[in-house]
Amino acid sequence: MISAIYNFALTTGANRVIRGARIEHVCGDPTLSPEKDYAFGMRIVTTALQTLTIAVPGPTLFDPMASGKEAAHAS
Amino acid sequence: MPAPLRVVHYVNQFFGGIGGEDQAHVGVSAREGAVGPGRLLERALGDGARVEATIVCGDNFASEREADASRAIGAELDRLKPDVLVAGPAFGSGRYGLACALACRVAQSRGIAAITAMHPENPGASSARRGIYIVPSGAATTSMQAVLDALAPLARRLGRRETLGPSEVEGYMPRGARRVHDRGQPGYQRALDMLLAKLQGRPYRSEVPYAPPERVAPAPPIADLARARIAMVTTGGLVRKGNPDRQVSANAVRYHRHTVAELESLSPAEWEAYHAGYFNHLVNSNPNYILPLSFLRDLERQGRVGRVHEHIYALPGVSTPVAVSAGHGRGIAADLKAAGVDGALLVAT
Repeated sequence: MISAIYNFALTTGANRVIRGARIEHVCGDPTLSPEKDYAFGMRIVTTALQTLTIAVPGPTLFDPMASGKEAAHAS
Repeated sequence: MPAPLRVVHYVNQFFGGIGGEDQAHVGVSAREGAVGPGRLLERALGDGARVEATIVCGDNFASEREADASRAIGAELDRLKPDVLVAGPAFGSGRYGLACALACRVAQSRGIAAITAMHPENPGASSARRGIYIVPSGAATTSMQAVLDALAPLARRLGRRETLGPSEVEGYMPRGARRVHDRGQPGYQRALDMLLAKLQGRPYRSEVPYAPPERVAPAPPIADLARARIAMVTTGGLVRKGNPDRQVSANAVRYHRHTVAELESLSPAEWEAYHAGYFNHLVNSNPNYILPLSFLRDLERQGRVGRVHEHIYALPGVSTPVAVSAGHGRGIAADLKAAGVDGALLVAT
């Protein structure tokens, strides 16, 4: 699940949670230039796809903008 | 001396003495007096009550031919005109539980009081709980006497046209009905009492029931993304421009499936958001924000994703009850599984 309200997603039990940008523009940012907006959205989407290829123990947060990709566990 | 209470008992083919699973297809029949556990029921009901007749129906007949079963049970009830119908107990038997719930609904539709008993996890209790009286039981028939002892007094009172009190007092499963009454203490006092009990580790009962979220085991990882079929789902209320499918803006009663097989991206000329829970204008300028088709197509072209699934699913998540959402999720998941989808991205607003 890609969501800007990631804490809510974690506490309600979604297992692979990817931090989205904002509620109104989850996969991108219209305040950025079109190129940067697209790159940002792509980063979110590729992070999300990557989570599908790894095992998770339970609700796990992945932050596309964090250096190590995985920001925190919630369990 | 009041007139004797006239009770009709509904049982399945097994308790009716017809046979086991091999006889689950039999239709509705009625016999005079109590049969099998009906005799225990009659004893539990006490003086002044009689099981006038027993309606017997095969569990498969009741679940596969509901309309016919309803009609036949209704005809028997019209003929017998009891004060109350007691169905089961069904314990853990799913089809029997559903049949008991059906029998109760048929009785109630004719103004006849009805009550049944089954395990709280019996499918008959979840789908039909609203509006019928169900006494909770164990899963096994070994608790027959205990259940009948709990059920019989309620059956008597219902048969006498008495109104039962709240579920937690009377011992039946909550029916989802709310009745206004005075709790005797103002709310702030009850809240403080509850808080003190909680802080001091004493038991307390919440007035508003809390159901913790379900825990779902994570799906196993996809071995190779480059060969995987990926689907997209959104609760952001994505619709075709003009909303020709008439998606509602909140409290989704259904989800919508669209085909994107021919599309490289979601164009604002063809798509928009209709969702009462957030500012839709930004998504209207770029619908890919809530359903990332443009990105997935790029990755598909690069060979980093095997296939973008041709169907997308959308609904407005806001104000949709959890139980309803779970139903939508099950429907979408079944579709995706049948189509051989390996993974899905769900974008939530």
